Amino acid sequence: MRDLSTNKENTWCTGCGNFGILNAVKKAITSMNNDGTKLADIAITTGIGCHGKIFDYLALNGIYGLHGRGTATASGIKLANPKLKVISFGGDGDSLGEGLEHTLFAAKRNMDITLVLHNNGNYGLTTGQFSPLSRVGYKGLSTPSGSIERPFRPVPLLLEAGATFVARGFSAKPDHLADLMVQAVNHKGFSFIEVMQPCVSYNNNYADLNQRIKMMEIIPQTCSMAIELASNEEHVYLGVFAKHDYPSFHEGLYADISPLSIRLAREERIALLNN
Amino acid sequence: MVYSILIGGKAGLGIKKAAQVIATTLLHDGWHVFQQDDYQSLIKGGHNFSIVSFGTEPVNTGYSRVNLIISLDKRSATEHENDLLDDSPGCYHIYNADDAPDGFADKDGRHISIPLDSLLKQLSSSGSVVSMAAIAIAFSWLGWDADKMQNTIKKEYKRDREENIQYAIHVFSIAVTHNINSGLARLANHSKPKSRLLSGNQAIALGAWAAGLDFYYAYPMTPASSILHYLALKQSTHHIYAIHAESELAAANMAIGSIVAGAKTAVGSSGGGFALMQEAFSLAGMVEAPLLCILASRPGPATGVSTYTAQEDLAFALHQGHGEFGRVVAAPDSIERAYSLSAELLCLAWEYQSPVILLSDKHLSESSIDFEQFSSVPFADDYTIVAKDNNDYTRYSDTEDGVSPLLFPGSDNVDDGTVIKWNSHEHVALGLRTDKARDMIIQKDKRNRKSHSLHLATKRYKRVNIYGDRGTPVFAYGSSVMELLEARKYCRKDFRIVSLVYLLPFPQDELNSFASSKALVLEHNSSGSFATYLQQHLSLEIVKRILRYDGRPFDPKELAVLLEEYLDA
Repeated sequence: MRDLSTNKENTWCTGCGNFGILNAVKKAITSMNNDGTKLADIAITTGIGCHGKIFDYLALNGIYGLHGRGTATASGIKLANPKLKVISFGGDGDSLGEGLEHTLFAAKRNMDITLVLHNNGNYGLTTGQFSPLSRVGYKGLSTPSGSIERPFRPVPLLLEAGATFVARGFSAKPDHLADLMVQAVNHKGFSFIEVMQPCVSYNNNYADLNQRIKMMEIIPQTCSMAIELASNEEHVYLGVFAKHDYPSFHEGLYADISPLSIRLAREERIALLNN
Repeated sequence: MVYSILIGGKAGLGIKKAAQVIATTLLHDGWHVFQQDDYQSLIKGGHNFSIVSFGTEPVNTGYSRVNLIISLDKRSATEHENDLLDDSPGCYHIYNADDAPDGFADKDGRHISIPLDSLLKQLSSSGSVVSMAAIAIAFSWLGWDADKMQNTIKKEYKRDREENIQYAIHVFSIAVTHNINSGLARLANHSKPKSRLLSGNQAIALGAWAAGLDFYYAYPMTPASSILHYLALKQSTHHIYAIHAESELAAANMAIGSIVAGAKTAVGSSGGGFALMQEAFSLAGMVEAPLLCILASRPGPATGVSTYTAQEDLAFALHQGHGEFGRVVAAPDSIERAYSLSAELLCLAWEYQSPVILLSDKHLSESSIDFEQFSSVPFADDYTIVAKDNNDYTRYSDTEDGVSPLLFPGSDNVDDGTVIKWNSHEHVALGLRTDKARDMIIQKDKRNRKSHSLHLATKRYKRVNIYGDRGTPVFAYGSSVMELLEARKYCRKDFRIVSLVYLLPFPQDELNSFASSKALVLEHNSSGSFATYLQQHLSLEIVKRILRYDGRPFDPKELAVLLEEYLDA
């Protein structure tokens, strides 16, 4: 397999959790490629923020889109060519702030794409403002007295919205994360991975996370068990919280026919119109 | 001669459908028709009315003074009391005796009451609708027989067929006793080529589809919604996919995603929804996505007046999006032109990988005409420049005309060695982000050359229509041109209609001969934005800006009188 790196200078902070995520993606893509997935059949989308720079560091097809809109562009790609495996990378401000609607609706539709949520608990690139996942009391430039709002709980939120594969990984455990990514991309339907990552500049919770993580060996049997584990305040559980089968949106729309393979030619169109 | 039938009553009674049935039957008899629907933003009740104008020559817009009024309720009888033509014989206002205004009486032998509600109660157990009476009365007035009426109802209404027919026959037999037959049935022209009833939005949808459209993304907003509805119905036969997204933001970004994967894609909305698409419109400019945008205007700002017409969005369309990038803005001046223009714009978008805007308005989008033939139109695939070699492919290669060849992930000619990267940041040729000064200039220059190429390419199409060869030029665009064409039939002074179909780039070559001319401008807004735009590019002496901004189209005869006044000046 060819190299997945680009010649783009990496501008993440030293020690940034994104390095672990980038490593995990490369491992996951290599593994999928070994199992027969062509690189040409993979497309990635990103929003805007520190997470989005991963687009520049991966020699993969795709679009570096707008802040918050990564799952919408990913959905459009998937619908036009269902053969493509589409992975969308989003930040917590990106996918759960500006783009919350697209995230929830992609899950609601069970769109067959993967959302990797880089959860660093703040807006890094715009200098550390509070995010939809920042804890109460988080002090950033826009909340100097501390955030008043409670954070979203991404795993229960996405479960409720309709995601059919929901998992959590940790940027400091790239092998485990890579394995989750392979499972997520191969899952038919909307797959969501919350990736816990420290932001070394504004929210360095590495030591705290490292201390609190706990691996789940099996998928919780019920949704309420999954929500309980995902919301546990003492431990940060890692692993797959839920995985079930439900028809994905494109299957409901056009079953197993690829739309671009059956498009009508010019003459056929005019003939049909005048029929 | 043009004749008109008006049907008025509460929303939810099937008035528009009844008008469509009458219009369709007329066009099968060889008439040219124009149907326009005046409705409020509500589901049931209120007051809706539809007008079907028809003639032996093409009818370009509907008439508000009519030959036959059918009022299904009290409010319609009152609202349209003065809409009957004074100067023509055989004009009638048939109103519902069971729901008539107090003291509403037949003053001149032209107002006839029929107890439409009690007849309905007597006859039908369930289901049938009072709008069936409109069909019966119209058929009786036109001089068509009961058999034709029965066959038409059978064909057009699937539900409660027997009850509908029974009721219609009863109303028909009463109408016949009033001797309202106009004798127009005798003027049927069976040698006229076959046609179908087609709305502006249907023409826009089908034009884009004929040019290769695969996907349409939208969030419902009047008067653009019927494009979404129409294309959604066509999925199984036309292999077109119409997706109702969670918002206009989603629609536009999903559309750009589909374009990245190689699908010919369009979005559509009205002003408010299109405002939400602006962010993605700029994205299309930066990533060089060929995005066809349909902007169907209604009175604004904000929610405005949802179901009426306006031309307030010209400047909005011209200046859509932030940042610098090329685009085309064009407005069809007829329902026929909406079909071909929609196709042209999709092709221009793909040839020059740029966003384009088709600007319409409620009157053009939601009115219908008899449409004969879908002509052959340009096909976007023929204009799409695909990279021949996928080795060392770069998405934004620096070319002479600014057009960088395309490749699509997952397509047969792409292998694992190729990397196709689209980027909303300023980028280098490969599609990786940059903030370097030199890189910025290279790509900005490339896009500017492409914009120039795009603008030159519009010259291959008919950008301006000039109707008439003498008299003062009257400038207009969109449905205002339709009104002028119809008014010209009655105006005793000569005038030329100068219709700008392509608005951006400004069609300078075609219009230079009008420099320093005295001119009139007609548009549906209060600020004269089109006149202002014209004056930025042409040294016109604008004698009068005729501005209408009450949401309603002009009656052509009223407009003719208005024009005569200003043409005299």
